[in-house]
Amino acid sequence: MNSYKYCLKNSLILLSALIVFLMSLPLYADGASGGTFIDKVYHPYVQPHEREIEWRGTYKKDSELRNQDNAQRHKLAYAQSFNDRWMGELYLVGEKNRQKDFKLASVELEALWQITEQGEYDYDWGMLFEAEHETEEHISEISSALLIEREWGKWVGTANLYLIYEWGSHIDNELETAMALQGRYRLSRQLEPAIEFYSSDTSEGIGPVLLGTIKLGGRKQIRWEAGVITGLDNETADETWKFSIEFEF
Amino acid sequence: MRKSPFIRVLLLIGILLPTIRIAAATPVIDVEIKNHLFIPSEIIIPENTKVKLVIHNRDETDEEFESYELNREKVIIGNRKGVIFVGPLPAGEYPFFGEFFPKTAQGKVIVK
Repeated sequence: MNSYKYCLKNSLILLSALIVFLMSLPLYADGASGGTFIDKVYHPYVQPHEREIEWRGTYKKDSELRNQDNAQRHKLAYAQSFNDRWMGELYLVGEKNRQKDFKLASVELEALWQITEQGEYDYDWGMLFEAEHETEEHISEISSALLIEREWGKWVGTANLYLIYEWGSHIDNELETAMALQGRYRLSRQLEPAIEFYSSDTSEGIGPVLLGTIKLGGRKQIRWEAGVITGLDNETADETWKFSIEFEF
Repeated sequence: MRKSPFIRVLLLIGILLPTIRIAAATPVIDVEIKNHLFIPSEIIIPENTKVKLVIHNRDETDEEFESYELNREKVIIGNRKGVIFVGPLPAGEYPFFGEFFPKTAQGKVIVK
């Protein structure tokens, strides 16, 4: 058992080193798809026998970026765990902006893998695998992300480190890296303040987020999030408002 | 336009460097869930020490070990066992309960 844990730890360190190496490569990217990376910070945990319905939305404000100003993105998802290590989620994504009425923009499939038990090591580890197809733009994307979490007393830090491959008939195929970070203070179950930072090849932003859980008894509970991410460069909207609500049952 | 990955790489190295540390042997404590009760309901652990709780669910039904104070939430499937790591913690009492049968499944971790 100890040798298994030793191998697991070494594998995680090697995997991390590989991602550091890939992140440092001068990968080509032209940001042709222009998709926003500001969305959600994932946590590396799965509960067995868990099902959830989720809605996530973003709303952008920027008077100088006409293609992003007033743009909305809505995600409706169903998720289910397969055991105590794996969870799958299917998303339908709708978008609306100044040029386009609201319509289905993409379909996404996600798998979350909890690698270590919470608190087993100094850091908790997981991985996220995603496949996405943009129905209108005919762009496809696969990505994997290393999910890392650690607690320091009432503070919890989470990092999502992405490697993304994107291809399609109207864009240059490209490999991208991205990162999402969250620092969260565990004030109470109902209300936790956090700060989130997003960085990808096409967007960068930071801002405050509020999170909470409302227990409804038994397996039923509602998790909610609301926040605003301020763009840190000229390509990211000045404000990206983000909201999500998950019903677990 | 492509952004420099420098900040992302630097942050990642900062996150990963402290992970390269060998963990010490972790004490193990067995806990049972039976008739929707935690047995023992009081779990005493030493201060500033990580402990592995092995929760044996002897009931047919699932139970969720839930504690906001310990920052732990774990579903233990009926007639199966689950592992929960707690600590290192400062001295004090940290209540936990069974989310699916909260009226009976109550307990606390006492750190001293």
